[in-house]
Amino acid sequence: MDHGRYRRQTRLPEIGEDGQQRLLDSSVLVAGCGALGSVAAMLLARAGVGRLVLADRDVVERQNLHRQVLYDDEDADIPTPKAQAAARRLSRANPDVLCEAVVADLDRTNVLALVESVDLVIDGADNFELRFLLNEACVRAGRPFVSGGAVGTYGIQFTVLPGQTACYACVVDEPPAPGSTPTCETAGILPMVSTMVAATQATEAVKILVGHSDRVRRTLLSMDPWIGTRSEVAITRATVGDGCPVCVQHRFDWLEGRRGGQALRLCGRDVIQVPPSAGARPDLAKLAASLPTAAHAVVTPFLLRFVAGACEVTLFADGRALVRGTEDPARARAVVAEYLGM
Amino acid sequence: MIYLDNAATTFPKPEAVHQAMEHFARNDAGNPGRSGHHWATAASGEVEGARQEVARLIGAPDPSRVALCLNATDALSMAFHGILRPGDHVVTSRMEHNSVVRPLNALARAGLIDLDRADNDMTGCIDPDSLRRLMRPSTRLVAMTWASNAFGTIQPIDQIAEVVKTQGALLLLDASQAVGSIDVDVAGRVPIDLLAFPGHKGLMGPMGTGALYIRAGLDLAPWREGGTGGDSTLPVQPLAMPHRMEGGTPNAHGLAGLRAGCRWVMERGVGAIREHERLLAARLLAGLSSIDGVSIHGPAGANGRTGAISFTLKDLDPHDAAGALDATFGIAVRAGLHCAPEAHASLGTLPAGTVRASLGPFNTTNDVDHLIDALAGMLASTAKMSAC
Repeated sequence: MDHGRYRRQTRLPEIGEDGQQRLLDSSVLVAGCGALGSVAAMLLARAGVGRLVLADRDVVERQNLHRQVLYDDEDADIPTPKAQAAARRLSRANPDVLCEAVVADLDRTNVLALVESVDLVIDGADNFELRFLLNEACVRAGRPFVSGGAVGTYGIQFTVLPGQTACYACVVDEPPAPGSTPTCETAGILPMVSTMVAATQATEAVKILVGHSDRVRRTLLSMDPWIGTRSEVAITRATVGDGCPVCVQHRFDWLEGRRGGQALRLCGRDVIQVPPSAGARPDLAKLAASLPTAAHAVVTPFLLRFVAGACEVTLFADGRALVRGTEDPARARAVVAEYLGM
Repeated sequence: MIYLDNAATTFPKPEAVHQAMEHFARNDAGNPGRSGHHWATAASGEVEGARQEVARLIGAPDPSRVALCLNATDALSMAFHGILRPGDHVVTSRMEHNSVVRPLNALARAGLIDLDRADNDMTGCIDPDSLRRLMRPSTRLVAMTWASNAFGTIQPIDQIAEVVKTQGALLLLDASQAVGSIDVDVAGRVPIDLLAFPGHKGLMGPMGTGALYIRAGLDLAPWREGGTGGDSTLPVQPLAMPHRMEGGTPNAHGLAGLRAGCRWVMERGVGAIREHERLLAARLLAGLSSIDGVSIHGPAGANGRTGAISFTLKDLDPHDAAGALDATFGIAVRAGLHCAPEAHASLGTLPAGTVRASLGPFNTTNDVDHLIDALAGMLASTAKMSAC
């Protein structure tokens, strides 16, 4: 152990030499290396978490740089996959940390193996489907899931300790209809808020990793520092009736493919279908009105078509989307997540 | 929900098909031909029963000339690799599915065969004269589709077979869209040498079944070698059909279903199924023609075509149309290139392809009317599509 590096951390009675050793022996999956993931990963790397698995499907883009602290203009120019850029930065920030970059779309085919390979999971997801998947994988594998989200000037954070606390599905029973919730692309994001949420996630993660799970906050924390509000809501395991399908009944519908699904290349070229994630149907007209002018949205009662950067998206009444202009299913998913939050 | 994707696979299947598969799985599912016990002989009986029904349906006098396999692609590859030798000349068409296009292109690119394509008209109908002009003394095989999966065009098979026979070549037909939907007789006026087809389309069987008919006197090198039951002391694949082509444990569960499917088709009658689909096709074609902004590709009338009908819509991409039909109206059709890019190139429907509605024995006039109404509604709203 590099005693100089961690001296002011081990001096804390909450951590100590013993806790520091535990951190160095632990591993964390950062699932999504955007605003939340990159800040949480940086804090955990500097704190001396021994192994970080950094998973992200996207490359660094200019519009990420105002809040995603691990990346710079050079990454956006190349452009570099976020997972690789993050691994490089973090290895330099703390050579004690073994950083593994996973440049992939996290889906039901790979998420469980990644979750099982670590002690704890940080939620850096940019869409609801991935959160449901991560939650199921964490409950099934018995790994703590430190969830977080931020959009606009608002953020939330709560932690799932499988078997002890409410799980994500106890709190959010269904993903919202596509486009019915704001995303960072449609509503914007105040970088200080995402940083506050990520710092909170990293704090809860460190408590768990050093052996102080009893100190983990058991409430759902929400904050809007712009307005100046901060509140906590008690969350409890859904045990009424049959109980939570995930943490009580152990039914893993997203993980086992009964919900959601793989992005699918359709017959022809450059058309990828992203399946609907929600049971709820989108309001196409309302959504069309909320899109930026640059999206050139056109809408009929049957479909909504809009431009998303180099891609074109068609959203249908049942929530499925077709993405044109890419051959990469992961890219198609990223575009849909960016604009529709699904 | 309305299923109009029968050219991809027929759905639903007759109840008898489900019952036959369940009965087989619960009672008889030994390994066919591998042992003499009850379950193995019962399974053999099921597989041989399927072979006989398939043979009857295509008019093959000797069931042992029907090699059972996984699907039409499997049957076609079995034929190409079993027949073709280096230096052979092969003629195909531009109306083919990738199950014909890709194996032939691979052999041509490897320098093993010379490959030519006969011309077709704008309805997708292959020109027998163009085929005649392409024939050479070294032409070993003519490989073509009986009916286009993308446009429904039924090819002039008798004339094509006549040309091939006159020139002394072999004729391999991809009958994927033909068997069960139109009369197929391999021992008809002009005999057919090789016929490849799936079990899960017009024959109403489950997926994972198919067959290759091989005319008597024609020997193919086996494309898949291995266990066959019977005389295991032979160091190589046996010469006798059908075991020569059938190495490995077959999909006996599926073949039990295929047997029941063939029976169902013959009880109902291919002629009656053809007439049912022809009437529905006529109704759909008339309905499509009455909508402003719909273009039909392939034969405009219900004769000379199958129930696979391809069309495009003004200002509405085929994938967007298919997505909206499914999402809003619960109507399942297929959009894009239907695994037949050369056919779309030939009829000028690249790169977007077409929407394909394909009719089956269980479709009704109601299904057709719903599709027509949905398309009319979609096109009307597309015409006044509002920008936000």
